Amino acid sequence: MYIIATANISPQNTFEQNEVLKNIVEYNSNQLTCIEPDYKSFIDAKLIRRMSRIIKMGVTAATKCLQNAGVSQPDAIVTGTAYGCLEDTGLFLTKMVEYNEELLTPTAFIQSTHNTIGGQIGLMLQCHNYNNAFVHRGFSFESALQDAIMLLQENEAQNVLVGAIDEITNTSHTILSRLGLYKQGNICNSNLFAKKSKGTIAGEGSSFFLLANEPTENNCAKLNALHTFYKPNNVSEIEGSINNFLIENAILLKNIDLIIVGKNGDATNDDVYEELEKSIFKNNVTINYKHLCGEYPTAAAFALWLATDIVKEGKLPAVYLKNELSENPIKSILVYTNYQNIHHTLLLISAC
Amino acid sequence: MTDLKLQIIAQLNLQDLKPEDIGDDQSLFVDGLGLDSIDALELIVLLQQQYKIKLANADEGPAVFKTVRTMAEYITAHQATNS
Repeated sequence: MYIIATANISPQNTFEQNEVLKNIVEYNSNQLTCIEPDYKSFIDAKLIRRMSRIIKMGVTAATKCLQNAGVSQPDAIVTGTAYGCLEDTGLFLTKMVEYNEELLTPTAFIQSTHNTIGGQIGLMLQCHNYNNAFVHRGFSFESALQDAIMLLQENEAQNVLVGAIDEITNTSHTILSRLGLYKQGNICNSNLFAKKSKGTIAGEGSSFFLLANEPTENNCAKLNALHTFYKPNNVSEIEGSINNFLIENAILLKNIDLIIVGKNGDATNDDVYEELEKSIFKNNVTINYKHLCGEYPTAAAFALWLATDIVKEGKLPAVYLKNELSENPIKSILVYTNYQNIHHTLLLISAC
Repeated sequence: MTDLKLQIIAQLNLQDLKPEDIGDDQSLFVDGLGLDSIDALELIVLLQQQYKIKLANADEGPAVFKTVRTMAEYITAHQATNS
């Protein structure tokens, strides 16, 4: 199936087409925050006032994706989010505590649900077609993508708007920091992989894709395959899963131009990738992406967006050093990424 | 009245409005300020949070929340009853 268009709001300049990843935006913090566009160009002023940041990011990326595709009404809208609308959730829970559980802030409560963004996109478009939201931790985006793929394969839809949205709030950052997810103190994201230490950097993002069965004149890329696997016991199992994935899709690693891997700067987490780079990936060029967007459960959507952009342009964005690659256009990309070494994802993307 | 308008602006996140943009007798709903049913819920919460007033009878809502002035009069009347 084909990726007709994309749109991505992230901690990097990824939204405006002429600015895409020209320079890395550096953060001296363990938390990367999205660069937000001017929402008024995309959302009615009357609606904006009620929307929290993640809802605005979600509906804006979805709207831009549809605009890029020249599609006004998708046959289906499928979203994936692990955390949902955290800001609204935190707000109404805090108010409930403050007012001894006697009062509920209606707007925050109504909009705190995980399917709010998909619902808002449908409402804004007056689109009554299939609308579903997937909330499966580190497989939230992958589940949404799998649903979109099946809808297309079974001809339930000719095009599907699929996206992933997750935000980090001060409250969630504090809680997840207590769980030891993030590095202590400030760190520059450009140097994320320079020193081995515990923890990663928090991230967030809103990435949307319009998938279709049939190619159009402006296709970005071809999404050849998606595979997920859960809690592998060791690196050998991961290697086995990757090899099986490649065999099923009749492609050899030597024919893959680039591998995007999900290192996140956490020494324990990154061991897996480093072992793979010494074994089955040893003859391939690999690049990282989580220093750009941070770590979050739906970060694989950023990787898919990046892979799509690379095969569309045929080359790496300016933020990457290119000396390891040949001059030939990049036509095929394998994404291998995992979330906390629990949720593992493989994506195969190629040029049209 | 200005304080009440500020509270309404904050509660409903009416970002582009200032108190002077809302007329004392301007209709708050539909053809006036354009508020809707969710805003009505927020206004009920505002009364409870700021003035400890519980709207006991839902049928009173349309009359109470008609304008800023009717809201202010309702609050004043309620405070006088309770003092």
